[in-house]
Amino acid sequence: MTRVLGWLAALGLLAGVAAGFGYAPREAIQGNVQRIMYLHVPSVLTAYLAFGLVLLGSIAYLATRRPGWDRLAASAAEIGVLFTAITIVSGSIWGKPTWGTWWTWDARLTSTAILLLVYVGYLMLRGLVDDAEARGRYAAVVGILGAVNIPIVHFSVKWWRALHQPSTILGPGPSPIDPAIGLALLVNWIAFTLLFAYFLARRIEIARLEET
Amino acid sequence: MTYVRRAWIVFQKDLLIERRSKEQTNALLFFCLVLLFLFQFALGPDRDRLAAALPGLLWLGFILAGLLALGRSFLAERENDCWEGLRLTPGDKSAIYLGKLAGNCVLMAAVELVLVVLFGVFYNVDLLTPAAPLALVLALGTLGLASVGTLFAAMTTQARARELLFPVLLLPVQVPVLLATVSATQALLLGQPLADVAHWLKLLAGADCVYVTIGILTFEFVLEA
Amino acid sequence: MPANWSYVLAAYGLAAVALFGYWRHLARRARALSARRGAPVSYRTPHRTPS
Repeated sequence: MTRVLGWLAALGLLAGVAAGFGYAPREAIQGNVQRIMYLHVPSVLTAYLAFGLVLLGSIAYLATRRPGWDRLAASAAEIGVLFTAITIVSGSIWGKPTWGTWWTWDARLTSTAILLLVYVGYLMLRGLVDDAEARGRYAAVVGILGAVNIPIVHFSVKWWRALHQPSTILGPGPSPIDPAIGLALLVNWIAFTLLFAYFLARRIEIARLEET
Repeated sequence: MTYVRRAWIVFQKDLLIERRSKEQTNALLFFCLVLLFLFQFALGPDRDRLAAALPGLLWLGFILAGLLALGRSFLAERENDCWEGLRLTPGDKSAIYLGKLAGNCVLMAAVELVLVVLFGVFYNVDLLTPAAPLALVLALGTLGLASVGTLFAAMTTQARARELLFPVLLLPVQVPVLLATVSATQALLLGQPLADVAHWLKLLAGADCVYVTIGILTFEFVLEA
Repeated sequence: MPANWSYVLAAYGLAAVALFGYWRHLARRARALSARRGAPVSYRTPHRTPS
């Protein structure tokens, strides 16, 4: 089953790259740099999916104490951090030619960076607690708090940005009008979701194997 | 024994310990004084630069002092082998959380009062005019800091590298509280009316509700075995 | 607007390295675990119990 998922993901990624570079047109204002969006946006969506699963696994673990839920939470968190890092790096690279700077305290980038910090902390906690049962419990609490905090972070950063700088007209945002761009985005998003599912399945399996 | 009574007992116990030994409060107060000098030296003699950075510095001071104070919330229990005692308390464990939270809030309030006065004196800031709305911002921000801090302190007491893990866990979660309080404090110090920062206050109040609720709901899971 | 292909390649390249690297990391660990089933692994994972 996992193998099938893996091949589907690979196919999806191929289709995604083809769509992003072959099918989708060159964007009018930003030029070719805009194509990074086909990597950046699916990445962040996948990260949110991952952290949603962390929340689910955390609550379910506290409620049922079945180790499978904890494995889900831990695995999803690890992969979520990976995709968040990809989101930030691709966003930064996109920003350099667009805004002229590698980093800017743009609302989206800032919120994503905070998200990364929260879940890296989650992984660190897991690494530093020896007792397996306590580890699951503590991680679940942090997982729940981290997820519930996301909308609070979103609003605080958004209002904070509104204070300091007017929103940039030219920014890494999707140009929703052209349907070709929309389709390329969709294909890439599906591909990333398949890849996430594949990674998750393998990671959970490893976790299960390690449970001697 | 009622829920409220249990929370009250924990609160009283912590206050009593602190009143008798004063070791924590004295150290924290001295730490605040050190911070004051640190900030001045870090920013240089330019008065205006300091004034502009003031709201941020104030809250940085609270957070740094808070990291020290909150991180040690359960240290007394752990070092004196009272952790088991906490665990074996009958009834809803969240009463312990609320008692500890109340104690931490009082401690933070004392620290913040000192820092505010020190700031007012040393950096020549008018903190009396906006005193009432400022107190409200401080109260909401402190509750946000202490609510999550108390919960995480219970967790990290049992972990390795707890002095490192506690800030790493707490600070990212506290970013919205920091953003809100610094923005609100800045506006108030510039003489803006309370109505202007109403959205920040609402955000803080909402966040506080969320954090305290999660603390109450999950504390028993932290306190287990 | 300049072509900026270097940026696009950099972004995709780094992402590819990261994803491929993670895939290889998973594959390696799975292999190691299957080979010596039951042996303790030092990496922290959920519910690792010492054997």
